Amino acid sequence: MKDEKFEILAMDYLSGNLSEGEAKEFETFLEAHMAYREKYEELLKAWELMEAMQSPEPSTQMDQAFFAMLSNEMDKEKESSPKQSLIAMFTAIFRPQWAIGVLLLLIGLGIGYFLRPDVEPIPTQTIAVNNETEEVRQKLVLTLLDQPSANQRLQGVSEANKFENADDIVIKALLKTLNSDPNVNVRLAAIESLTNYVDKPEVRQGLVQSIPNQGSPILQITLANLMVALQEKSSIAPFRQLLKQKELDTTVKKRIERSIESII
Amino acid sequence: MQTLTDNVLMMKVKSGDLDKLGLLYERHKRKLFGFFYNMGNNASLSEDLVQNVFVRILKYRQSFTGEGPFTAWMFSMARNVNYDHHKKVSREGVSRNVSPEQVDRGTGDYLNEAMDLQGDAHLLRRAMGLLSAEKKEILLLSKYRELKFQEIGEILGCSEGAAKVRVHRALKDLKTIFLQLETR
Repeated sequence: MKDEKFEILAMDYLSGNLSEGEAKEFETFLEAHMAYREKYEELLKAWELMEAMQSPEPSTQMDQAFFAMLSNEMDKEKESSPKQSLIAMFTAIFRPQWAIGVLLLLIGLGIGYFLRPDVEPIPTQTIAVNNETEEVRQKLVLTLLDQPSANQRLQGVSEANKFENADDIVIKALLKTLNSDPNVNVRLAAIESLTNYVDKPEVRQGLVQSIPNQGSPILQITLANLMVALQEKSSIAPFRQLLKQKELDTTVKKRIERSIESII
Repeated sequence: MQTLTDNVLMMKVKSGDLDKLGLLYERHKRKLFGFFYNMGNNASLSEDLVQNVFVRILKYRQSFTGEGPFTAWMFSMARNVNYDHHKKVSREGVSRNVSPEQVDRGTGDYLNEAMDLQGDAHLLRRAMGLLSAEKKEILLLSKYRELKFQEIGEILGCSEGAAKVRVHRALKDLKTIFLQLETR
């Protein structure tokens, strides 16, 4: 038997690591070999010596020092625990329940999106309503302009101002008012109302044609100013015609002359 | 009272229940003290080193995996503590680890024919003092039967067989030194 193998076996035997059979085997081996037996006995004595080795009891100071250290450490741990509780708070906030909540909300939003009523018909309805109110307003304007009371005709003109896009019937009615209304204020209001539609050729034409019909100086001056602003060349002829009238106010006359000059 | 195993206790310490270290301390303080004392340190230094081991256990508690037994882990720490201490001492050039028992008290004791246990113990301590640190260490590790040779091997970084051989040879050397001292 090799020395190393013997050393291992002997240690196993000493420490009781061998099975019963192996132990028996080792014992018979020792019986047979005197040299190994002596070695083993030496070893056993050394082992027993080790067993007998004693150490004094540690003092109570060691215990005190240890527990002081431990309680110190525990205090430190407690001090640092607020940080941990903060982290715990955050993890508590981001619990899976929240994820489920958010998911449910999203599902709800999705269902709501797909089940929403069609939005398209609503604008068509408002357009229809708009058309209706336009029609009603047109009738109202026409009716009001036919009233004998100047006040109500004025109301009709101001009502006509509310049209976003007045149609020909309203414009014709306004032009008729401008040419034939007995009240100066109504005619003045009609001019103001018509200035909203000066980009229409028939409106410009109507305005130019009404120049000779106007007897009131204020209307003549308003029309002159308007023509200057529009730079309407076709208005020169009617103005010249107006200048020939003997009863024309001198201020108006001067004004019209200046207007003709600025238009040219 | 050993209802909770060392490993379970240590896992509790690891998870923040530092209180449980007190139980582990009570269970192992004598073993550790004996280890340091028989490694040749005097009693008060041994106490300090035991304390250092537990400080280290606290500090490195997160590295305890619970795979091996707690005692093996603890003794590998103890070994490092002892090694670090002696390295520091030798660097400082001061040898403070001479225990009073190691100082020769005179030869009168050995002339005494009746070698009682106390005399034996004294001789043994002297013999231990003459052994190399590695041999002392392995003898002390094997003295506590709790550690298997495989675990001793793990602590020392060698195989199970090598650990047995080393213990065997260390025992033999101890015996030789002891006999030399006895016959002197």
